[in-house]
Amino acid sequence: MTENSETQVFQNVFRFWQLVFIKVRFNLRSEATQSYLSYAWWILEPLMQMGVYYIVFDIFLRRGGEDFVPFLLCGIVPWLWFARSVNNSSRSIVQGRGLISQTYLPKPFFPLVVIGQDLVKQHVVFLLLIGFLFYYGYVPSAEWLWLIPIVITQLLLIVAVAFLVSFIVPFARDLQYLINAGLMMMMFGSGIFYSYESVLLPEHREIFLMNPMANLIVSYRMVLMDGTEPLTNSLAVIASVSILFTFLMSKAMKRHNNTLTRLALE
Amino acid sequence: MSSPLISLTDVGFTYRTLSGLFSIEKYQALKSINLDINPGETLGIIGSNGSGKSTLLKVLARIYKPDEGKIEYRAKKISLLSLALGFDARLSGFDNAILSSMLLGATLKEAKERVSGILDFSELGEFTSHPVRTYSSGMRARLGFSVALNMKADVLLIDEALAVGDAKFKAKSEKAIVERVTSSQTVILVSHSGAQINRLCDRAVWIEKGEIVFSGETEVVTKMYAEASTKKH
Repeated sequence: MTENSETQVFQNVFRFWQLVFIKVRFNLRSEATQSYLSYAWWILEPLMQMGVYYIVFDIFLRRGGEDFVPFLLCGIVPWLWFARSVNNSSRSIVQGRGLISQTYLPKPFFPLVVIGQDLVKQHVVFLLLIGFLFYYGYVPSAEWLWLIPIVITQLLLIVAVAFLVSFIVPFARDLQYLINAGLMMMMFGSGIFYSYESVLLPEHREIFLMNPMANLIVSYRMVLMDGTEPLTNSLAVIASVSILFTFLMSKAMKRHNNTLTRLALE
Repeated sequence: MSSPLISLTDVGFTYRTLSGLFSIEKYQALKSINLDINPGETLGIIGSNGSGKSTLLKVLARIYKPDEGKIEYRAKKISLLSLALGFDARLSGFDNAILSSMLLGATLKEAKERVSGILDFSELGEFTSHPVRTYSSGMRARLGFSVALNMKADVLLIDEALAVGDAKFKAKSEKAIVERVTSSQTVILVSHSGAQINRLCDRAVWIEKGEIVFSGETEVVTKMYAEASTKKH
């Protein structure tokens, strides 16, 4: 537009990310004021969930062998993060209509705030998971550092899927129900409750591993339980496809910004 | 004469509402609007309820893209001042002042620099650290007004209900608006009160059913508008 449009673009990008971070911080603060124990729930809620799995599978049912609870937790903790963020962001643009009607904000703002909020709380959950594993006698090793690239890859995957669902739901809000059903189906296909190597036929294993969450959960277990290197090639593929997809989705959101505004305000 | 900051050529805007599968209801809110916004001027937009005034402001603020015609912008930063934009009732007045300023276009640094001025102007005293849900509606409006007033932009878009709060604060806010408006700031003010437009604006546009009925000198436009609205009743 003007001769210094490059600095203008940079300023806008900077302001955008600053606003995302501030909104995440304030939303977390706002959420905490709703309960008496406020921030303590970040620990208590996942602790209670993990406690339930411990009581049910280790004390009452005593099934699936000694390792079953750690095995289950290594699957369910990443899964719940994925499902929660995808589910919450699917409505984010529609729910942002108050802001959308009064000010101009690029649409990725809305899913990013949701993802940011979940990400902050997820840190605590991962620390608790490590604590649980320690209790079960898994000794941390240098291999556990692989957790960092795995978590980053999962975050990239979440952003890609969240951008997709938040983009399509405004077009037909009924899709919300399909997303819930889809997540449920994907959960059973992600090998949270079973080991794909012992349950699936050899010819089906490759298809199973094409589900990115199933693939990531295998990597989490390899690193945390077996102390081995994860499926590094798969991680690289998931990360790059997610980045590409996120880029395409943000292009689509920009291109259809006006349509999304109108749809959100309907 | 310097070139206009915003120029609208034959701008039209239609609301479409999905009222079921495959059925869409249409409502044309703006029809072939031609308008230039000149630097430094205070332009008043007047019209009855549902005339398209607020839609025009949203088009100017780039919230809505017009279906017809074109808009040329020479202004970089255009801010639609909405009172209490993005307020979260569970957060304190301080936090809301920061958040709302940023949503209106400030960076975090700017928002932090302005926050004490904003809170002073709003006269909330110790309430600035209390959650906004404990505020009276007057206090809320005062905070919202103070945030909006402290915004800096090339073009300010202001939608009705300017003076807020009790009589004392109303006088103070009216005075602050006059100061803002008489400076070199470019302002577009929407109102259905002819008196307010008369007091503040250099030029006025009268809109009815999405079309410009008349535009020109403030007194002439508001007089015509007043006559037309008494005739209707």
